[in-house]
Amino acid sequence: MLVHLQGPWSPWFGRLTLGDIPYTNPVIIFAFLFTVVAGIALAVPVLYYRKLGYIFREWLCSVDHKKIGVMYIILGLVMMFRGFIDGMMIRTQQVTADGPHSPGFLSAQHGYLPPAHFDQIYSSHGTLMIIFAVGPILTGLGNIIVPLQIGARDMAFPRMNAISLWLSVSGAMLIMASLFIGDFSTAGWVGLIPLTELPYSPSVGVDYWMWALQISSIGTTLNAINIITTIIAMRAPGMRWDRLPIFTWTTLSTNIIGLTAFPILGVALALLGADRYLGTHFFTGGQGGNLMLYTDLFWIWGHPEVYFLVLPAFGIISEIIPTFSEKPLFGYTTMVAATFAIAGVAWAVWLHHFFTMGAGPWVNTFFSVATMLVGIPTGVKVFNWILTMYRGRITYTTPMLWSVSAILMLLIGGLTGIMLANPAINYTVHNSVFVIAHFHCMVLLIAFAIFAAIIYWFPKVFGFRLDEHSSKRFFIFFVLGTVTVFTAMFALGFMGETRRLDYLYDPQWLPLLIVEEIGIVFYCISVGYFFRMLYVSIRDRGRNQCGADPWGTARTLEFLTHSPVPFYNFAVTPHVNALDELAWRRANGHADTPPDHYEPVHMPNSSMIPVIIGVLSFGFGFGMVWRIWWMAGFSLLAIIALIILGSFMPDPGYTISPEEMREMEAQHRAPGIMADSHPPHPAAEERLV
Amino acid sequence: MSAPKSTAGGAVQLWEYQPKPHDPVSTKTLGFWLYMLSDALIFAGLFAAYGVLDQPMNAAGGPTAMQVVHPVAAFWQTLAVLTSVLAYSLATVALKAGSRAGVALGILAAMALGLVFLGLELNDFVTLFAMGATPERSGFLSVFFVLIASHGLHMAFGLLWMLVMLVQIMRFGFTTEVVTRLLSLRLFWQFQASVWVCVYVFVYLKGIVP
Amino acid sequence: MTDAHHHAATDPLAHPEVQQASAAAYISAYVLTVGLLGVGLFMTERHLVTPHSLIPVIAAFAIFLLVAQSLLFLGLDVSHSNIWKTVSLMLTVPLFILSIGLTVWMFHSLDHLVMSPEMPGMSLQPGTLQ
Ligand code: HEM
Ligand SMILES: [Cu+2]
Repeated sequence: MLVHLQGPWSPWFGRLTLGDIPYTNPVIIFAFLFTVVAGIALAVPVLYYRKLGYIFREWLCSVDHKKIGVMYIILGLVMMFRGFIDGMMIRTQQVTADGPHSPGFLSAQHGYLPPAHFDQIYSSHGTLMIIFAVGPILTGLGNIIVPLQIGARDMAFPRMNAISLWLSVSGAMLIMASLFIGDFSTAGWVGLIPLTELPYSPSVGVDYWMWALQISSIGTTLNAINIITTIIAMRAPGMRWDRLPIFTWTTLSTNIIGLTAFPILGVALALLGADRYLGTHFFTGGQGGNLMLYTDLFWIWGHPEVYFLVLPAFGIISEIIPTFSEKPLFGYTTMVAATFAIAGVAWAVWLHHFFTMGAGPWVNTFFSVATMLVGIPTGVKVFNWILTMYRGRITYTTPMLWSVSAILMLLIGGLTGIMLANPAINYTVHNSVFVIAHFHCMVLLIAFAIFAAIIYWFPKVFGFRLDEHSSKRFFIFFVLGTVTVFTAMFALGFMGETRRLDYLYDPQWLPLLIVEEIGIVFYCISVGYFFRMLYVSIRDRGRNQCGADPWGTARTLEFLTHSPVPFYNFAVTPHVNALDELAWRRANGHADTPPDHYEPVHMPNSSMIPVIIGVLSFGFGFGMVWRIWWMAGFSLLAIIALIILGSFMPDPGYTISPEEMREMEAQHRAPGIMADSHPPHPAAEERLV
Repeated sequence: MSAPKSTAGGAVQLWEYQPKPHDPVSTKTLGFWLYMLSDALIFAGLFAAYGVLDQPMNAAGGPTAMQVVHPVAAFWQTLAVLTSVLAYSLATVALKAGSRAGVALGILAAMALGLVFLGLELNDFVTLFAMGATPERSGFLSVFFVLIASHGLHMAFGLLWMLVMLVQIMRFGFTTEVVTRLLSLRLFWQFQASVWVCVYVFVYLKGIVP
Repeated sequence: MTDAHHHAATDPLAHPEVQQASAAAYISAYVLTVGLLGVGLFMTERHLVTPHSLIPVIAAFAIFLLVAQSLLFLGLDVSHSNIWKTVSLMLTVPLFILSIGLTVWMFHSLDHLVMSPEMPGMSLQPGTLQ
């Protein structure tokens, strides 16, 4: 059954030999040095301040939804940074490799990247950005905010929550490993078939891509189960469905997609894996395989996936605009209905990614009309946001600036999407960079919302505000970069530039490529301001401390408890009286009314199992990639054994007594408390498992 | 929508000092049920693939469904899996009465029948392999084997889980955790029967329709 | 969730999901399933109906059985402990139908257009087992 591979194989190391480490490639050496330096820069302070134990116990083993959320976001930001560097390299290659007379550097004939290397870079760019940057950041935000917004103490399954995180991390680590050991897929983030089949991609690149996606998507599915159950079963008393904050609604709808769409990706990848490992013929050219079946399965997931990403972004915008317009959201009910309409229709449009397959006029018409229908609920949302701002008392804080620009991006992205949804137009621009520009408007709108959310909720989690001065500059340069790059890209799409070119044959494209490169310069400046924002804010954190509601006009429950949020979230479960509970309390003079006494609170213990499962799943992935069977088999068995073992050791949790709670609450109400100044509860058992 | 809701006494209630406890059993079985739904979509993907690859073209000159399925023989498998589910279900009737012996007996019967099912399936596979009908032969056979083996893999996991539950019943008795797991396992096991109904009808029965 | 452990003292066997077990429902679901699949087998083996109408008939059997199993074996209903299971199932069923139905439809249409048997190389006859 096992496919016989060309090349060396040994029982201990599988396909791995020393020659697989690309130590001769200058670009990769540079990346390696960069990673090592960054790693040392992180490790030294940790070791110097003897924080290793603290990080292990309080973070890696944590089952606290807020810490898990923060780790998701850190993972996402790091991956986004790497994805950004990939993007920069792609742009720079294209601008230097335009026209037959373009120069070649390093070992490339044109530009500075040889084709195989360039292909790996755009493949990892897409995979990282969509799966490992934007996805985890949004998941992290949902993790942090949703339980707070519904007045819960934690997720429904705290330990499984940690497992989800560590599965995502281990997927991301597989992609990082591919940078230095072996190579990465050259077949795009979508896994262009039949290029991903063994005869055309005999190296481990596709396997890295496949297993990284597979492992992290299991994490996503588990997280979806957790969030949906949490929202259904853990709401505070009085949190009726018609009072559910809009971000929670969008997170719910998005996770319904997560729950149902990701298994189909799993099937697509598993069948591809069967072709590559077992020699089956699902997607091969000959022997009765069907290439388009892969494309079909991939996009059954792929289209819902893009809505999986955009819906929480809509939720974020819907939270921020009312806060800074000092008005309730216009059309709450229609907003919820529109959210679910979008999620529902997202399931019947996937063929618009391959109209050119030629399934015939009826099929194409059906999917074209269905795709255009998405425009209706999306339009409803845009109008609701605008009407929320209308006659509001608007303050242009940075979250608000990001949100308003996100609406504009949505407009451009949405309208070009509708153009693409017309098969007649699609046949001419499909596979051109026009498509790239379309979906970058969309994913950048998500990025805008993410930055808005990070700045909006950062003070909630850490207790101090981010520096407005540099964050505004970060915003301005990021938007400038976006507009510059993608306006030019739309035009290049019309001029016939196709996607994924390492060498561009038409010298007439050069001026616009240079414009795009200028946009990249703006992006680089904005990244500089991002780091400056972090630096200045942390440096001045004492000055920027904030109370429960850092903005003064927030409307939802998460701003009722202290900033930073204590590990037990709410000392006493709030009773919800209205939609926008905090705004209601403020209006009725209850915003600062504390509970008059405390009751015992039960909390879960930390656990080592999730992070170990993460490490083992990396081992499994790595073993499969290199066909080191003992490693893959051992890791898999160990995971199963751990889960069974864990089921024999139920977590008794621990209890916070009313007296302890009173003490901790009194501390919180005193000014000047920083994030790490409330150590874990003394009664928390030191036991980890 | 923002009208204040007053408690009976007329005063506004801001805090819930003794919230009604969350139902631990239903929360977990709901979570597990959601997992089952996502698992169901794995089978949706596989059945979609089967629908596409079940064409004469995809047999690539090799055997078609007509030549590899034997619905009469597979009816024994159907009987085995359904009776196994019945046995497990009757174990939960014993659970209601709190009878450890009854539950253990039901689970043991379910396991035995599950093993019979897997044995029959394995036997079928071996026969087909011997005839040269292997997954590598054609696109159709690839999807045929992978679809059925995916179901079989689920069955095998169910058996492992039952084994664990037998130990836990003996060790812990009917604690909340154990009961919750027994209920979840019932969803899982029942789900295998439902998938098998689809496999039997759309692969085996449909396979011999000319 | 975590608060749950406090209340573990309440008897889990009294939980409605345990109490809803019913031998009568299970046995009738079993008899129904075995019976209907048996009838389906008989109809198919004996070619009682034309192949054209047979497939819709056995498909209807399958759907009927899935519904019957959900109601009788799983006891799905709108009671407090089951309502969300029922709702989530109702939301998932359309996705099932969409993903399988639209896939089969688009490939059927595609094959019809690009793989007609008149085209060269398209008339592969199914072979026999070696
Ligand atoms: C009104 C809403 C939308 C419409 C009508 C629409 C339409 C389309 C169409 C027709 C294509 C296929 C183009 C082609 O390959 O020929 C496409 C591609 C794409 N869209 Fe959209 N879209 C919409 C919203 C979104 C959103 C919200 C996102 C992301 C969050 C998104 C992300 C993408 C991506 C990633 C691709 C390209 C995938 C690839 O081939 O690599 N779209 N869109
Ligand atoms: Cu799409």
